[in-house]
Amino acid sequence: MIFLKRQLPLAITFVMGVVFALQYYIPHPVSEEAITKVSDWMKIISGFALVLGIASVFHVHAVKIRRQAPGWGYSGVLFAAIVITMGVGFWSGGESKADGAQTAFGWLYDYTMVPLQGTMFSILAFFIASAAYRAFRARSPEASVLLVSAVVVMMGRVPLGQFLAPWTWDVTQWLLNVLNSAVRRAILIGVSMGSVGLSLKIILGKERSYLGGGKDQ
Amino acid sequence: MKGALKDFARRMIAIDRRIIFLLIAAATLLPLLNPFGLPIKVSPEVKAVYDYMDALPERSVFLLSFDFDPSSKPELEPQAVALLRHAFRKNLRVIAMTHWITGTGLADGVVAQVAAETGKERGKDYVFLGWAPGGYALIISMGQDLYKAFPSDYSKTPTLGMPVLEGVRNLRDVNYMVSLAAGGAGIEMWYVFGKDKYRFEMAGGATGVIAPGLYPFLRSGQINGLIGGLQGAAEYETLIGRKGMAVAGMDAQSATHFVIIVLVVLCNVFYFTLRGDKGKPV
Repeated sequence: MIFLKRQLPLAITFVMGVVFALQYYIPHPVSEEAITKVSDWMKIISGFALVLGIASVFHVHAVKIRRQAPGWGYSGVLFAAIVITMGVGFWSGGESKADGAQTAFGWLYDYTMVPLQGTMFSILAFFIASAAYRAFRARSPEASVLLVSAVVVMMGRVPLGQFLAPWTWDVTQWLLNVLNSAVRRAILIGVSMGSVGLSLKIILGKERSYLGGGKDQ
Repeated sequence: MKGALKDFARRMIAIDRRIIFLLIAAATLLPLLNPFGLPIKVSPEVKAVYDYMDALPERSVFLLSFDFDPSSKPELEPQAVALLRHAFRKNLRVIAMTHWITGTGLADGVVAQVAAETGKERGKDYVFLGWAPGGYALIISMGQDLYKAFPSDYSKTPTLGMPVLEGVRNLRDVNYMVSLAAGGAGIEMWYVFGKDKYRFEMAGGATGVIAPGLYPFLRSGQINGLIGGLQGAAEYETLIGRKGMAVAGMDAQSATHFVIIVLVVLCNVFYFTLRGDKGKPV
Protein backbone atom coordinates (compact mmCIF):
# COMPACT_ATOMS: atom_id res chain seq x y z
CA MET A 1 0.00 0.00 0.00
CA ILE A 2 2.88 2.36 0.81
CA PHE A 3 4.25 1.71 -2.69
CA LEU A 4 0.92 2.66 -4.33
CA LYS A 5 0.24 5.64 -2.06
CA ARG A 6 3.72 7.12 -1.87
CA GLN A 7 6.52 5.67 -3.98
CA LEU A 8 4.55 5.27 -7.23
CA PRO A 9 3.09 8.84 -7.26
CA LEU A 10 6.53 10.24 -6.39
CA ALA A 11 8.14 8.27 -9.23
CA ILE A 12 5.45 9.34 -11.74
CA THR A 13 5.81 12.99 -10.66
CA PHE A 14 9.61 12.85 -10.96
CA VAL A 15 9.64 11.20 -14.41
CA MET A 16 6.85 13.35 -15.88
CA GLY A 17 8.29 16.53 -14.36
CA VAL A 18 11.78 15.96 -15.76
CA VAL A 19 10.61 14.66 -19.16
CA PHE A 20 8.18 17.51 -19.84
CA ALA A 21 10.50 20.22 -18.53
CA LEU A 22 13.06 18.98 -21.10
CA GLN A 23 10.42 18.43 -23.80
CA TYR A 24 9.87 22.20 -24.11
CA TYR A 25 13.41 22.58 -25.46
CA ILE A 26 13.36 19.61 -27.88
CA PRO A 27 11.63 20.46 -31.18
CA HIS A 28 11.61 16.84 -32.46
CA PRO A 29 8.48 15.07 -33.87
CA VAL A 30 8.65 12.44 -31.10
CA SER A 31 8.75 15.17 -28.48
CA GLU A 32 5.84 17.01 -30.17
CA GLU A 33 3.82 13.77 -30.32
CA ALA A 34 4.48 13.20 -26.61
CA ILE A 35 3.17 16.64 -25.61
CA THR A 36 0.12 16.17 -27.86
CA LYS A 37 -0.69 12.87 -26.18
CA VAL A 38 -0.16 14.24 -22.69
CA SER A 39 -2.25 17.34 -23.42
CA ASP A 40 -5.09 14.95 -24.37
CA TRP A 41 -4.67 13.21 -21.00
CA MET A 42 -4.72 16.57 -19.26
CA LYS A 43 -7.97 17.52 -21.03
CA ILE A 44 -9.55 14.24 -19.86
CA ILE A 45 -8.31 14.82 -16.30
CA SER A 46 -9.74 18.39 -16.46
CA GLY A 47 -13.09 16.85 -17.37
CA PHE A 48 -12.93 14.64 -14.31
CA ALA A 49 -12.00 17.67 -12.21
CA LEU A 50 -15.29 19.26 -13.28
CA VAL A 51 -17.21 16.22 -12.03
CA LEU A 52 -15.17 16.25 -8.82
CA GLY A 53 -15.97 19.96 -8.37
CA ILE A 54 -19.71 19.37 -8.73
CA ALA A 55 -19.55 16.45 -6.29
CA SER A 56 -17.65 18.63 -3.81
CA VAL A 57 -20.21 21.46 -4.08
CA PHE A 58 -23.04 18.96 -3.49
CA HIS A 59 -21.26 17.50 -0.47
CA VAL A 60 -20.48 20.87 1.18
CA HIS A 61 -24.02 22.18 0.78
CA ALA A 62 -25.67 18.89 1.74
CA VAL A 63 -23.77 19.02 5.05
CA LYS A 64 -24.89 22.64 5.53
CA ILE A 65 -28.54 21.71 5.00
CA ARG A 66 -28.34 18.62 7.22
CA ARG A 67 -26.84 20.65 10.09
CA GLN A 68 -29.13 23.60 9.38
CA ALA A 69 -26.10 25.89 9.53
CA PRO A 70 -26.71 29.66 9.22
CA GLY A 71 -27.78 30.46 5.66
CA TRP A 72 -28.67 26.82 4.87
CA GLY A 73 -31.65 28.07 2.86
CA TYR A 74 -29.25 29.46 0.26
CA SER A 75 -27.77 25.97 -0.10
CA GLY A 76 -31.29 24.75 -0.87
CA VAL A 77 -31.60 27.41 -3.57
CA LEU A 78 -28.23 26.28 -4.96
CA PHE A 79 -29.41 22.66 -5.12
CA ALA A 80 -32.64 23.69 -6.81
CA ALA A 81 -30.75 25.82 -9.35
CA ILE A 82 -28.31 23.01 -10.14
CA VAL A 83 -31.05 20.40 -10.50
CA ILE A 84 -33.28 22.67 -12.65
CA THR A 85 -30.37 23.76 -14.89
CA MET A 86 -29.16 20.17 -15.33
CA GLY A 87 -32.70 18.95 -16.02
CA VAL A 88 -33.36 21.68 -18.58
CA GLY A 89 -29.88 21.14 -20.05
CA PHE A 90 -30.49 17.40 -20.58
CA TRP A 91 -33.99 18.09 -21.93
CA SER A 92 -32.54 20.56 -24.45
CA GLY A 93 -29.76 18.13 -25.36
CA GLY A 94 -27.18 20.59 -24.02
CA GLU A 95 -27.96 22.96 -26.90
CA SER A 96 -28.75 26.64 -26.47
CA LYS A 97 -30.20 26.79 -29.99
CA ALA A 98 -32.02 24.25 -32.13
CA ASP A 99 -33.02 24.94 -35.75
CA GLY A 100 -32.20 28.61 -35.23
CA ALA A 101 -34.58 28.93 -32.27
CA GLN A 102 -33.59 29.34 -28.67
CA THR A 103 -34.00 26.28 -26.48
CA ALA A 104 -35.11 26.32 -22.84
CA PHE A 105 -31.45 25.90 -21.85
CA GLY A 106 -30.47 28.94 -23.97
CA TRP A 107 -33.31 30.92 -22.39
CA LEU A 108 -32.16 29.95 -18.91
CA TYR A 109 -28.62 31.13 -19.77
CA ASP A 110 -29.67 34.42 -21.41
CA TYR A 111 -32.33 35.42 -18.91
CA THR A 112 -31.03 34.15 -15.59
CA MET A 113 -27.29 33.57 -15.68
CA VAL A 114 -26.29 36.62 -17.76
CA PRO A 115 -28.33 39.19 -15.76
CA LEU A 116 -27.51 37.56 -12.41
CA GLN A 117 -23.76 37.57 -13.02
CA GLY A 118 -23.97 41.11 -14.40
CA THR A 119 -25.90 42.26 -11.33
CA MET A 120 -23.44 40.66 -8.91
CA PHE A 121 -20.51 42.37 -10.60
CA SER A 122 -22.17 45.77 -10.98
CA ILE A 123 -23.04 45.87 -7.27
CA LEU A 124 -19.27 46.16 -6.73
CA ALA A 125 -19.35 49.75 -8.04
CA PHE A 126 -21.60 50.76 -5.15
CA PHE A 127 -19.53 48.99 -2.51
CA ILE A 128 -16.24 50.31 -3.90
CA ALA A 129 -17.59 53.89 -3.75
CA SER A 130 -18.78 53.38 -0.18
CA ALA A 131 -15.47 51.72 0.84
CA ALA A 132 -13.43 54.48 -0.85
CA TYR A 133 -15.34 57.10 1.12
CA ARG A 134 -14.67 55.37 4.43
CA ALA A 135 -11.18 53.97 3.96
CA PHE A 136 -9.26 56.07 1.42
CA ARG A 137 -7.64 58.47 3.87
CA ALA A 138 -4.24 60.16 3.90
CA ARG A 139 -3.24 58.60 7.23
CA SER A 140 0.47 58.30 6.31
CA PRO A 141 2.87 59.52 3.57
CA GLU A 142 2.50 56.14 1.78
CA ALA A 143 -1.30 56.33 1.91
CA SER A 144 -1.11 59.92 0.60
CA VAL A 145 0.96 58.83 -2.41
CA LEU A 146 -1.57 56.08 -3.12
CA LEU A 147 -4.45 58.51 -2.74
CA VAL A 148 -2.98 61.11 -5.12
CA SER A 149 -2.05 58.43 -7.72
CA ALA A 150 -5.54 56.93 -7.54
CA VAL A 151 -7.22 60.32 -8.06
CA VAL A 152 -4.92 61.15 -11.01
CA VAL A 153 -5.49 57.74 -12.66
CA MET A 154 -9.26 57.96 -12.10
CA MET A 155 -9.22 61.33 -13.86
CA GLY A 156 -6.80 60.33 -16.61
CA ARG A 157 -8.76 57.21 -17.58
CA VAL A 158 -12.06 58.97 -18.35
CA PRO A 159 -12.94 61.61 -20.97
CA LEU A 160 -14.28 64.10 -18.41
CA GLY A 161 -10.99 64.02 -16.48
CA GLN A 162 -9.00 64.34 -19.71
CA PHE A 163 -11.16 67.32 -20.65
CA LEU A 164 -10.92 69.14 -17.30
CA ALA A 165 -7.25 68.37 -16.62
CA PRO A 166 -5.53 67.23 -19.85
CA TRP A 167 -2.23 66.63 -18.03
CA THR A 168 -3.78 63.70 -16.11
CA TRP A 169 -3.74 61.65 -19.36
CA ASP A 170 0.06 61.88 -19.69
CA VAL A 171 0.67 61.32 -15.99
CA THR A 172 -1.65 58.27 -16.04
CA GLN A 173 0.17 56.80 -19.04
CA TRP A 174 3.49 57.34 -17.26
CA LEU A 175 2.22 55.82 -14.02
CA LEU A 176 0.89 52.73 -15.83
CA ASN A 177 3.82 52.25 -18.20
CA VAL A 178 6.71 53.04 -15.88
CA LEU A 179 5.95 52.79 -12.16
CA ASN A 180 3.20 50.19 -12.41
CA SER A 181 5.15 48.08 -14.92
CA ALA A 182 8.29 48.11 -12.81
CA VAL A 183 6.49 47.05 -9.63
CA ARG A 184 4.35 44.43 -11.38
CA ARG A 185 7.44 43.01 -13.09
CA ALA A 186 9.21 42.69 -9.75
CA ILE A 187 6.18 40.88 -8.31
CA LEU A 188 5.92 38.63 -11.38
CA ILE A 189 9.59 37.68 -11.24
CA GLY A 190 9.28 36.94 -7.53
CA VAL A 191 6.19 34.80 -8.03
CA SER A 192 7.79 32.99 -10.97
CA MET A 193 10.96 32.21 -9.04
CA GLY A 194 8.76 30.89 -6.23
CA SER A 195 6.86 28.71 -8.72
CA VAL A 196 10.10 27.30 -10.12
CA GLY A 197 11.29 26.55 -6.60
CA LEU A 198 8.02 24.86 -5.65
CA SER A 199 7.97 22.86 -8.89
CA LEU A 200 11.50 21.61 -8.23
CA LYS A 201 10.54 20.62 -4.69
CA ILE A 202 7.52 18.67 -6.03
CA ILE A 203 9.55 16.99 -8.82
CA LEU A 204 12.31 16.01 -6.41
CA GLY A 205 9.81 14.73 -3.84
CA LYS A 206 10.62 17.29 -1.15
CA GLU A 207 7.10 18.74 -1.23
CA ARG A 208 4.60 15.92 -0.68
CA SER A 209 1.44 17.60 0.53
CA TYR A 210 -0.32 16.68 -2.76
CA LEU A 211 -0.13 13.02 -1.69
CA GLY A 212 -2.62 13.69 1.11
CA GLY A 213 -2.24 12.79 4.77
CA GLY A 214 -3.21 9.12 5.00
CA LYS A 215 -1.99 6.76 7.73
CA ASP A 216 0.68 5.34 5.47
CA GLN A 217 2.33 8.73 4.85
CA MET B 1 -18.09 77.21 15.96
CA LYS B 2 -15.21 74.75 15.98
CA GLY B 3 -17.27 72.25 17.90
CA ALA B 4 -20.17 72.54 15.46
CA LEU B 5 -17.78 72.01 12.55
CA LYS B 6 -16.38 68.89 14.17
CA ASP B 7 -19.85 67.57 14.89
CA PHE B 8 -20.77 68.12 11.27
CA ALA B 9 -17.57 66.35 10.11
CA ARG B 10 -18.29 63.45 12.47
CA ARG B 11 -21.84 63.12 11.16
CA MET B 12 -20.66 63.30 7.56
CA ILE B 13 -17.92 60.73 8.00
CA ALA B 14 -20.50 58.27 9.32
CA ILE B 15 -22.99 59.10 6.57
CA ASP B 16 -25.50 56.38 5.66
CA ARG B 17 -23.97 54.36 2.86
CA ARG B 18 -27.33 54.30 1.06
CA ILE B 19 -26.79 57.99 0.25
CA ILE B 20 -23.50 57.05 -1.46
CA PHE B 21 -25.32 54.27 -3.33
CA LEU B 22 -27.91 56.80 -4.51
CA LEU B 23 -25.20 59.20 -5.72
CA ILE B 24 -23.51 56.41 -7.70
CA ALA B 25 -26.82 55.29 -9.17
CA ALA B 26 -27.58 58.88 -10.26
CA ALA B 27 -24.07 59.32 -11.69
CA THR B 28 -24.54 56.14 -13.74
CA LEU B 29 -28.10 56.70 -14.94
CA LEU B 30 -28.19 60.42 -15.76
CA PRO B 31 -25.33 60.41 -18.32
CA LEU B 32 -26.86 57.32 -19.96
CA LEU B 33 -30.14 59.25 -20.36
CA ASN B 34 -28.42 62.51 -21.35
CA PRO B 35 -25.00 61.74 -22.85
CA PHE B 36 -22.53 64.60 -23.03
CA GLY B 37 -20.30 62.86 -25.59
CA LEU B 38 -16.81 64.05 -24.74
CA PRO B 39 -14.03 63.11 -27.19
CA ILE B 40 -12.13 59.87 -26.53
CA LYS B 41 -8.32 59.97 -26.56
CA VAL B 42 -6.60 56.92 -28.04
CA SER B 43 -3.68 55.36 -26.18
CA PRO B 44 -0.64 53.86 -27.96
CA GLU B 45 -1.41 50.36 -26.59
CA VAL B 46 -4.88 50.30 -28.18
CA LYS B 47 -3.62 51.93 -31.40
CA ALA B 48 -1.03 49.13 -31.67
CA VAL B 49 -3.79 46.48 -31.78
CA TYR B 50 -5.73 48.47 -34.37
CA ASP B 51 -2.66 49.08 -36.55
CA TYR B 52 -1.64 45.42 -36.54
CA MET B 53 -5.15 44.26 -37.46
CA ASP B 54 -5.45 46.92 -40.10
CA ALA B 55 -2.19 45.88 -41.76
CA LEU B 56 -3.19 42.20 -42.09
CA PRO B 57 -3.90 41.07 -45.66
CA GLU B 58 -7.40 39.87 -46.55
CA ARG B 59 -8.30 36.29 -45.48
CA SER B 60 -5.60 36.32 -42.79
CA VAL B 61 -6.49 34.20 -39.78
CA PHE B 62 -7.60 36.10 -36.69
CA LEU B 63 -8.17 34.12 -33.49
CA LEU B 64 -10.35 35.72 -30.82
CA SER B 65 -10.56 34.00 -27.46
CA PHE B 66 -13.48 35.04 -25.25
CA ASP B 67 -11.89 34.30 -21.89
CA PHE B 68 -14.64 35.78 -19.77
CA ASP B 69 -18.19 35.18 -18.63
CA PRO B 70 -21.29 37.40 -18.26
CA SER B 71 -19.96 39.13 -15.12
CA SER B 72 -17.41 40.97 -17.29
CA LYS B 73 -19.78 41.50 -20.19
CA PRO B 74 -20.12 45.31 -19.82
CA GLU B 75 -16.37 45.82 -20.28
CA LEU B 76 -15.33 42.98 -22.58
CA GLU B 77 -18.30 42.56 -24.89
CA PRO B 78 -17.81 46.05 -26.41
CA GLN B 79 -14.14 45.13 -27.00
CA ALA B 80 -15.18 41.91 -28.74
CA VAL B 81 -17.77 43.69 -30.87
CA ALA B 82 -15.30 46.39 -31.96
CA LEU B 83 -12.57 43.83 -32.79
CA LEU B 84 -15.00 41.64 -34.73
CA ARG B 85 -16.37 44.61 -36.69
CA HIS B 86 -12.82 45.56 -37.63
CA ALA B 87 -11.86 41.99 -38.55
CA PHE B 88 -14.96 41.42 -40.69
CA ARG B 89 -14.57 44.80 -42.37
CA LYS B 90 -10.99 43.77 -43.27
CA ASN B 91 -12.29 40.42 -44.58
CA LEU B 92 -10.19 38.45 -42.13
CA ARG B 93 -11.08 34.85 -41.35
CA VAL B 94 -12.23 34.76 -37.74
CA ILE B 95 -11.80 31.80 -35.40
CA ALA B 96 -13.54 32.41 -32.09
CA MET B 97 -13.48 30.26 -28.95
CA THR B 98 -13.67 30.47 -25.18
CA HIS B 99 -11.84 29.03 -22.19
CA TRP B 100 -14.71 29.90 -19.85
CA ILE B 101 -17.57 27.42 -20.02
CA THR B 102 -19.99 29.97 -18.57
CA GLY B 103 -19.13 32.40 -21.35
CA THR B 104 -19.92 30.03 -24.24
CA GLY B 105 -23.47 31.20 -24.99
CA LEU B 106 -22.48 34.83 -24.63
CA ALA B 107 -19.54 34.47 -27.03
CA ASP B 108 -21.63 32.60 -29.59
CA GLY B 109 -24.28 35.34 -29.49
CA VAL B 110 -21.73 38.16 -29.93
CA VAL B 111 -19.97 36.50 -32.88
CA ALA B 112 -23.26 35.60 -34.59
CA GLN B 113 -24.68 39.10 -34.08
CA VAL B 114 -21.64 40.95 -35.51
CA ALA B 115 -21.34 38.44 -38.36
CA ALA B 116 -25.00 38.94 -39.24
CA GLU B 117 -24.72 42.74 -39.33
CA THR B 118 -21.66 42.53 -41.59
CA GLY B 119 -23.12 39.78 -43.80
CA LYS B 120 -20.55 37.13 -42.92
CA GLU B 121 -21.23 33.42 -43.17
CA ARG B 122 -20.60 30.76 -40.52
CA GLY B 123 -18.11 28.17 -41.76
CA LYS B 124 -16.95 30.34 -44.65
CA ASP B 125 -15.91 33.62 -43.00
CA TYR B 126 -15.91 32.66 -39.36
CA VAL B 127 -16.21 29.74 -36.99
CA PHE B 128 -17.09 29.60 -33.32
CA LEU B 129 -15.34 26.60 -31.82
CA GLY B 130 -17.02 26.88 -28.43
CA TRP B 131 -15.47 25.59 -25.22
CA ALA B 132 -13.34 22.53 -24.49
CA PRO B 133 -11.77 21.51 -21.17
CA GLY B 134 -8.09 21.70 -20.47
CA GLY B 135 -7.10 25.37 -20.25
CA TYR B 136 -3.40 25.45 -21.10
CA ALA B 137 -3.51 21.81 -22.25
CA LEU B 138 -6.11 22.84 -24.81
CA ILE B 139 -3.79 25.55 -26.13
CA ILE B 140 -0.95 23.01 -26.48
CA SER B 141 -3.36 20.67 -28.20
CA MET B 142 -4.45 23.43 -30.61
CA GLY B 143 -0.79 24.17 -31.23
CA GLN B 144 -0.26 20.59 -32.34
CA ASP B 145 -3.47 19.92 -34.24
CA LEU B 146 -6.49 22.23 -34.26
CA TYR B 147 -8.78 19.49 -35.59
CA LYS B 148 -7.95 17.09 -32.76
CA ALA B 149 -8.53 19.84 -30.19
CA PHE B 150 -11.84 20.84 -31.81
CA PRO B 151 -13.16 18.07 -34.09
CA SER B 152 -16.40 20.05 -34.46
CA ASP B 153 -17.48 23.63 -33.86
CA TYR B 154 -20.12 24.88 -31.40
CA SER B 155 -22.93 24.01 -33.81
CA LYS B 156 -21.59 20.43 -34.15
CA THR B 157 -20.29 20.95 -37.71
CA PRO B 158 -17.02 19.07 -38.34
CA THR B 159 -14.14 21.53 -38.47
CA LEU B 160 -12.09 19.51 -40.96
CA GLY B 161 -12.83 20.79 -44.45
CA MET B 162 -14.45 24.07 -43.35
CA PRO B 163 -13.63 26.80 -45.90
CA VAL B 164 -12.79 29.27 -43.12
CA LEU B 165 -10.07 26.90 -41.86
CA GLU B 166 -8.50 26.20 -45.25
CA GLY B 167 -4.72 25.98 -44.83
CA VAL B 168 -4.99 26.13 -41.05
CA ARG B 169 -3.50 23.10 -39.29
CA ASN B 170 -2.57 24.49 -35.91
CA LEU B 171 -1.78 27.70 -34.02
CA ARG B 172 1.32 28.29 -36.16
CA ASP B 173 -1.07 29.25 -38.99
CA VAL B 174 -2.78 31.97 -36.96
CA ASN B 175 -1.74 35.48 -38.06
CA TYR B 176 -3.02 37.39 -35.08
CA MET B 177 -4.64 36.48 -31.81
CA VAL B 178 -6.43 38.49 -29.12
CA SER B 179 -7.45 37.09 -25.76
CA LEU B 180 -10.20 39.02 -24.01
CA ALA B 181 -9.61 38.09 -20.42
CA ALA B 182 -11.31 38.63 -17.11
CA GLY B 183 -8.99 36.54 -14.97
CA GLY B 184 -6.52 33.68 -14.71
CA ALA B 185 -7.35 31.67 -17.83
CA GLY B 186 -6.48 34.32 -20.36
CA ILE B 187 -3.70 36.48 -21.70
CA GLU B 188 -0.79 35.10 -19.63
CA MET B 189 -1.81 31.53 -20.41
CA TRP B 190 -2.12 32.27 -24.13
CA TYR B 191 1.32 33.86 -24.09
CA VAL B 192 3.12 31.12 -22.14
CA PHE B 193 1.56 28.06 -23.83
CA GLY B 194 0.59 29.61 -27.17
CA LYS B 195 2.55 32.51 -28.58
CA ASP B 196 5.89 31.62 -27.02
CA LYS B 197 5.77 28.08 -28.39
CA TYR B 198 3.87 28.40 -31.66
CA ARG B 199 5.09 31.84 -32.74
CA PHE B 200 2.06 33.96 -33.59
CA GLU B 201 1.57 37.63 -32.75
CA MET B 202 -0.90 38.38 -30.01
CA ALA B 203 -2.53 41.16 -28.01
CA GLY B 204 -4.76 41.30 -24.98
CA GLY B 205 -8.03 42.85 -23.96
CA ALA B 206 -8.78 42.94 -20.25
CA THR B 207 -11.11 44.34 -17.63
CA GLY B 208 -10.00 47.59 -16.01
CA VAL B 209 -9.13 45.69 -12.83
CA ILE B 210 -6.57 43.33 -14.36
CA ALA B 211 -5.24 45.57 -17.16
CA PRO B 212 -2.54 47.29 -15.04
CA GLY B 213 -1.09 43.86 -14.20
CA LEU B 214 -0.51 43.19 -17.91
CA TYR B 215 1.68 46.23 -18.59
CA PRO B 216 4.94 44.30 -17.98
CA PHE B 217 3.94 41.93 -20.84
CA LEU B 218 3.20 44.94 -23.02
CA ARG B 219 6.46 46.74 -22.24
CA SER B 220 8.51 43.60 -22.93
CA GLY B 221 6.76 43.02 -26.27
CA GLN B 222 5.23 39.72 -25.16
CA ILE B 223 1.91 41.18 -26.23
CA ASN B 224 1.94 43.86 -28.91
CA GLY B 225 -1.07 45.80 -27.63
CA LEU B 226 -3.53 46.03 -24.79
CA ILE B 227 -7.16 47.11 -24.66
CA GLY B 228 -7.97 47.99 -21.06
CA GLY B 229 -11.52 48.13 -19.73
CA LEU B 230 -14.40 50.14 -21.11
CA GLN B 231 -12.03 53.05 -21.90
CA GLY B 232 -9.96 50.72 -24.14
CA ALA B 233 -13.11 49.52 -25.89
CA ALA B 234 -14.22 53.13 -26.44
CA GLU B 235 -10.79 53.92 -27.91
CA TYR B 236 -11.11 50.99 -30.33
CA GLU B 237 -14.63 52.07 -31.31
CA THR B 238 -13.24 55.55 -32.02
CA LEU B 239 -10.47 54.06 -34.18
CA ILE B 240 -12.83 51.99 -36.33
CA GLY B 241 -15.15 54.99 -36.61
CA ARG B 242 -18.17 53.20 -35.24
CA LYS B 243 -19.29 54.34 -31.83
CA GLY B 244 -21.09 51.74 -29.77
CA MET B 245 -21.76 50.57 -26.25
CA ALA B 246 -18.34 51.56 -24.91
CA VAL B 247 -18.42 55.20 -26.04
CA ALA B 248 -21.98 55.44 -24.69
CA GLY B 249 -20.85 53.99 -21.36
CA MET B 250 -17.84 56.29 -20.96
CA ASP B 251 -20.00 59.26 -19.93
CA ALA B 252 -21.44 57.20 -17.09
CA GLN B 253 -17.94 56.06 -16.15
CA SER B 254 -16.70 59.67 -16.19
CA ALA B 255 -19.50 60.74 -13.87
CA THR B 256 -19.03 57.85 -11.42
CA HIS B 257 -15.27 58.45 -11.28
CA PHE B 258 -15.96 62.06 -10.42
CA VAL B 259 -18.44 61.20 -7.71
CA ILE B 260 -15.87 58.84 -6.17
CA ILE B 261 -13.13 61.51 -6.40
CA VAL B 262 -15.39 64.10 -4.71
CA LEU B 263 -16.32 61.57 -2.01
CA VAL B 264 -12.67 60.72 -1.35
CA VAL B 265 -11.71 64.41 -1.14
CA LEU B 266 -14.61 65.15 1.22
CA CYS B 267 -13.78 62.16 3.36
CA ASN B 268 -10.22 63.45 3.75
CA VAL B 269 -11.40 66.97 4.60
CA PHE B 270 -13.59 65.53 7.37
CA TYR B 271 -10.76 63.24 8.47
CA PHE B 272 -8.32 66.15 8.86
CA THR B 273 -10.99 68.22 10.63
CA LEU B 274 -11.37 65.47 13.23
CA ARG B 275 -7.74 64.31 13.44
CA GLY B 276 -6.97 66.64 16.35
CA ASP B 277 -9.59 64.95 18.54
CA LYS B 278 -7.44 62.76 20.79
CA GLY B 279 -9.05 59.64 22.07
CA LYS B 280 -11.95 59.85 19.67
CA PRO B 281 -11.89 57.34 16.83
CA VAL B 282 -12.01 58.81 13.32
